[in-house]
Amino acid sequence: MSATALSGGRRWSLLALAVVVTGVLMFPVYWMIMTSLVPSNDLLVAEPPLVPPADSATTEAWTGVIDDQPVGRWLWNSTVTTLGAAIISTAVSTLGGYSLSRFRTAGQQAMGFTLLFSRMLPGTLLIIPLFVLFAGLGMVNNLWSVTLVNIAATVPFTTWLMKGFVDSVPAELEQSAMIDGCGRLRALWYVVVPLLKPGIAATFVYASILTWGDFLFARTLMGDPQGWTVTVGIATFIGEFSIDWSGLMAIGLMSTVPMVLLFIVLEPFLSRGMTAGAVKG
Amino acid sequence: MTSPATGTTTADPPGPSTGPAPGPRPLQRRAQRRRRLFAYGTLAPTLLVVAVLMAYPLYVALDLSLRGGQISDLLDLSGNPYTLGNYAEVLSSSGLLADVVRSVVYTLGVVVPAFAIGLGLALLLNRAFPGRRIIRPLVLLPWAVPGVVVAAAFSWMLDSSYGVVNYLLRTVGLIDENVAWLADSRTALAAVIVPTVWKYYPFFTLILLAQLQSIPAELYEAARVDGASPVRQFRHITWPAIAGASTLAVVITAIGVFREFDFIFPLTGGGPNEATQTLAVRIYTEAFQYFEMGTATALGIVTMAICGFFLLAGGRSIRREFS
Repeated sequence: MSATALSGGRRWSLLALAVVVTGVLMFPVYWMIMTSLVPSNDLLVAEPPLVPPADSATTEAWTGVIDDQPVGRWLWNSTVTTLGAAIISTAVSTLGGYSLSRFRTAGQQAMGFTLLFSRMLPGTLLIIPLFVLFAGLGMVNNLWSVTLVNIAATVPFTTWLMKGFVDSVPAELEQSAMIDGCGRLRALWYVVVPLLKPGIAATFVYASILTWGDFLFARTLMGDPQGWTVTVGIATFIGEFSIDWSGLMAIGLMSTVPMVLLFIVLEPFLSRGMTAGAVKG
Repeated sequence: MTSPATGTTTADPPGPSTGPAPGPRPLQRRAQRRRRLFAYGTLAPTLLVVAVLMAYPLYVALDLSLRGGQISDLLDLSGNPYTLGNYAEVLSSSGLLADVVRSVVYTLGVVVPAFAIGLGLALLLNRAFPGRRIIRPLVLLPWAVPGVVVAAAFSWMLDSSYGVVNYLLRTVGLIDENVAWLADSRTALAAVIVPTVWKYYPFFTLILLAQLQSIPAELYEAARVDGASPVRQFRHITWPAIAGASTLAVVITAIGVFREFDFIFPLTGGGPNEATQTLAVRIYTEAFQYFEMGTATALGIVTMAICGFFLLAGGRSIRREFS
């Protein structure tokens, strides 16, 4: 780490500053947790309690949502589309990023620009023809269509991300493997891919977070409540006349936990990863 | 791009003269062909995704945007003649300029504070202090929260009767009575900007932090020995090292925010009185609430053109970062 050595007093004042800033920035998360633990009649008052009252805190909102709403179903649908989109996006963009990095022929350059251009397509525009396309194929209300659209939404960025990572792997490594008689594909798999782990982690996290959080595509392509992902389910709560805020915050937190876990597991790779890719790419 | 690849053939055993099999020409040609096959083979899946899920839809959208009359069957447009009517309607509609302005205000309103917070946090987290390892994932956490959940949390915090924001502002005396943040057309745009900032700042922190960590500590030590103030150190060491990454991150985020939908729609649906109707939201409403597919797609194409215009206007520094 490039952090410089500081005197003891400075270090503690930095910590104090960090704690204050974190406190402010994390307040929305705190407020969600707090809301999910306090009964509604304690919340719907002009002066809500700032800490959960010890005697009335309850997990009822959590159990209530699980009993009343098909939360498990929603989470399952989100998991299926997210895993599908993240795995396929990562594979596609690893290959694509390799091709963009190592070969600079007309095809690769044209693709590089096309990918940048693709990022400019507004999702709300893209979804109209895709809706038409999937309706024509009889694929509306099919989780595959949601997965595919999310792959399309992530690949333009993740391919550039991966290109940056491949750029940072010296080409000589594959060359020497190939001179030793290794095929191109084997060299890619056994020599390059292991060195791309931070990039693969970053791509996987990026694609997962995007797909898990997707609302537009899932909402448009999934009319059937059986196929709703958790974001679509949650959105049906908002804007109702009498919103069950405790329940809404409980399900909101439930839907966030998987991404937080993924994030914590892969975060050490990320801060290295994002630069090498997004930024140099 | 700082790729080490300067030529056209980095990963290959270099040219014909030093190739692994210096022999008769057919062998070389075969190696060439295999190389090209591999180059396009690895690109093929990306090509497939882009062609099927981007290029073809774009073609359909263009086609739709050029069709006149009431579209009754989206799968058979032969009854709808080609016309520029949708574009004429979109471009001459009185609301377009307002939608563009709102989209730009929303984008700037999100990107500027998100970048400022992201940079500040990155600078802070780059210093050594106890507890940094716990703080870091915490402040990055909003990135992992789905946009709709962020929208839900803020719609509760901003609630006009029982929202904690009103309560806190009342307590410190900034307001006298509750404000209906999301329902008042004067505050609604600000009320959708705040959650979006909250969701987007970690992306900047992540990228800038990684960039800061790659600056050699010796540079700062030398600067301190020379008596450079922290401000001068920032201007002459830190900023040059992160400027490129910053430009790129800002552009990528701005494009994303310009067409953002997942916050605005659940929070306000574009209301009240169109106060939060950005281009992205209007495309969606035209298409899926009024079923005006022709107008919606024409508006989408116009949005893209505007996005491209801003990118070009952004100048050479942006183009250099990308190519």
